[in-house]
Amino acid sequence: MLRRVRELLINNLHVRREPDEIDPDAPLFATGLGLDSLDAVELVVCLETAFGVRLGDDQELRRKTRTVNSVVDTVLATTETSHGG
Amino acid sequence: MAADTTAIRLSVAVSEASHVSVLRVSGSAAFDALDRIVPRELYLRDGQILHSMLLKDDATLLADLFVCRQDESYLLLSEGACADEISRRLQEQVPVGADLELRSLAETHGLVALDGPYAWELLAEALSPDVVGLPYLGFFDLDPWICLRAGKTGEYGYWLLGARSEIPALMVHLLEVGRRFDVARTDLEALDQCALENGFFNIRREGALELTPIELQLQWRASYQKDYVGAAALRQHRTEGARARVTTIVGDGPLAEGDSVFLDGTRIGRMVNAGFSVTRGDWVALALVEERWAHPGLNFNAAHGDARLDVHSISPPVINNRSLYVHSQRHSYRTRDEQTFPAL
Repeated sequence: MLRRVRELLINNLHVRREPDEIDPDAPLFATGLGLDSLDAVELVVCLETAFGVRLGDDQELRRKTRTVNSVVDTVLATTETSHGG
Repeated sequence: MAADTTAIRLSVAVSEASHVSVLRVSGSAAFDALDRIVPRELYLRDGQILHSMLLKDDATLLADLFVCRQDESYLLLSEGACADEISRRLQEQVPVGADLELRSLAETHGLVALDGPYAWELLAEALSPDVVGLPYLGFFDLDPWICLRAGKTGEYGYWLLGARSEIPALMVHLLEVGRRFDVARTDLEALDQCALENGFFNIRREGALELTPIELQLQWRASYQKDYVGAAALRQHRTEGARARVTTIVGDGPLAEGDSVFLDGTRIGRMVNAGFSVTRGDWVALALVEERWAHPGLNFNAAHGDARLDVHSISPPVINNRSLYVHSQRHSYRTRDEQTFPAL
């Protein structure tokens, strides 16, 4: 899943890094990988399209997308919930 | 919860940041000199702060660094390297006689830190409401202070930089106004623990262990596209591949730096930073483990003295920062009890 999230960041969010440069605990926004508020909107769309993840309000978005691993955790939690019925 | 940690997590705490070195860099050679020691691209507008680091020649960490662009000069705020050490490194990057002015503010200036979900409100009442609009990693003149927004606790964080002689009076003023906010004085130990809980790098702990940005998950602070002190060693290290990486661990503890980490009876690494989280009620640690096991959601054992403890890896931040939910336009410390916030 980490690999897929890294690919999403590079291909859809245009993070100009090689996959191995994107550390799992790297912050996504501001000083980290440099995503901004427009990227946040794109990230929401991408997560729903690619993984079926629906993020609620702005606070949930901020909490669940703080780092690369936060996104991985969110995707895994959604996947496990949907598979668990 | 300890009073000062409670303040950091729920209201606001103040401290003197005497562990931070401040250096002003100016002159026509300032950019070139800085560009050769700072691993990130120096794209900075006036009033912006860049969070970066300084590396040694072997790509291990020398300093945790904020670079602040102030008109045509730069303010460097460093943890881990003093102003004289940074000055020497800057001078090595430019020809003798180059227009490079270096002024350490160590003797003349001091820093006061405010951290907490209502730090913005205390500052607004104590100094100026203009603070409210200051974005993360921005700064502005708040005469006679320079106000920088750059905390390392996951909460709203500000530094006030000004004349050392004015610091005692400022502290008195902040503590007086801060009574309305249940303000507490805090110290570096509590701030470091909060930083650990939020996944912020600590130059005094894991940063002192001769590790590179690859093991420390700090590659976002470095570019592989430019040359700087340590760049060649970092590229070489990347080519060879890092065998280990830090990952955050929690457990009922106690845990301490140096404790070994085991997976199914095999030693896979060691703790490089650890402390008790009064917010969570358990122990939080940073472990350097084999790269293939440096992921959240895994169960390990930690050897602390003769004890074997069950621990597991987790994605930082390991607390749900109140500052994520506090907005200056909708909230106030006075009406906090009328609001519903998620658990920390």
